[in-house]
Amino acid sequence: MDDLQFRRAIYSDPNNQDADTIAAQQDDPSKKQFAQDIYKLDEKIKQALQVPVPDDLCNKLILRQTLASHQVQKRKTRVHLALAASVAIVGGLMLNFMQFSSAYSNLGDYALAHVYHEQGSFANNATNQVTLTSLNQKMAAFDGNFSQSLGKLLFADYCRFDGMKSLHLVYQGKTSPVTIFVVPKNEQLRFSTTFNDEKLFGSSIEFNKSNIIIVADKNESLGRWQQNISETVSWSI
Amino acid sequence: MMTKQVRYEALVKALHGDLYRYAYWLTHEKQVAEDLVQETFLRAWRALDSLKDEKAAKSWLITILRRENARRFERKRFDMSEYEEASITDTKSVTTEQELENHWLREKISQLPPEYSEPLVLQVIGGFSGEDIATMLELNKNTVMTRLFRARNQLKEALEAEPVKRGIYNG
Repeated sequence: MDDLQFRRAIYSDPNNQDADTIAAQQDDPSKKQFAQDIYKLDEKIKQALQVPVPDDLCNKLILRQTLASHQVQKRKTRVHLALAASVAIVGGLMLNFMQFSSAYSNLGDYALAHVYHEQGSFANNATNQVTLTSLNQKMAAFDGNFSQSLGKLLFADYCRFDGMKSLHLVYQGKTSPVTIFVVPKNEQLRFSTTFNDEKLFGSSIEFNKSNIIIVADKNESLGRWQQNISETVSWSI
Repeated sequence: MMTKQVRYEALVKALHGDLYRYAYWLTHEKQVAEDLVQETFLRAWRALDSLKDEKAAKSWLITILRRENARRFERKRFDMSEYEEASITDTKSVTTEQELENHWLREKISQLPPEYSEPLVLQVIGGFSGEDIATMLELNKNTVMTRLFRARNQLKEALEAEPVKRGIYNG
């Protein structure tokens, strides 16, 4: 190990314990002297670098951390509260959605369900009859008018058709009542021209602002009803 | 049970001195060094779970502190004037020869370019090896060794060049 290498090694690390540097020191007393000088210098440097540390720094550090973590905890409880509130709101919305949104995706399904729901309320041979005038009074709400009666009208009143105000008409049919709905147009339910199940079948006619839906049992001729309606109904603007 | 709090307090007690000294030699100002150490430990507390190896704690903290110091310069570029900071910070009247020498040497160290003084402080106070310092400062090990060599060389030369002046101080 030459002198320059040795000096570099000692200068850059006075505590150098490499075998090479130790051997070099043992071989050459001047190198040993040099190493000791630098070691002494390093001791001085070490002393000089030991600037006094503020006495209270340790306590300050712990205090600051305690305060900070306390704040974090407070923030956490706030977060929990916010989470609970969010869950409550979402729950409320879900409930709302499930209760008030339609379970049916198209007009036909809903109309069938509606008819089945009220099946017991109407008898085909009931005696009461609604006049054309009072029907047309009710139709006025939909800007519509029937020029003549479609048949024996047993019942006519407003009802909720999937949350929309609609007119529910029940006519005497061949074997069971024929139900006609006048429903304002709505995006929520898909328009279905014809629909049926085992007992009932139905069809819808699309007008400018409203749909008219006919539901009857399979003995009826829907086509005739449809034609009659199209011929007699008129809409004012 | 070793809670996070206990770990943190142990860390503070064991290492705040070295960290403060390192910060002091980085900034040359007591107050700034103290703030820097506080920020560092606060960050360390938040990230304490990521510290798996307690042996690596010191270099971990020093890395945080260096980053924190760099951030300080991002926020505000300090206009360091050329006065001798070390002589201002140490206002106590020197009594013994040893303290006088310390005082003088401190001035010399603070006059070293920071790229020389930083590895020196890490080696002497931090007790880190050349490899450790190279990793922390993101430098090549040979560069670190050269800088250490130059730092000591400059201090030694300064020490040898000024015996007369020191005599006047002593007198």
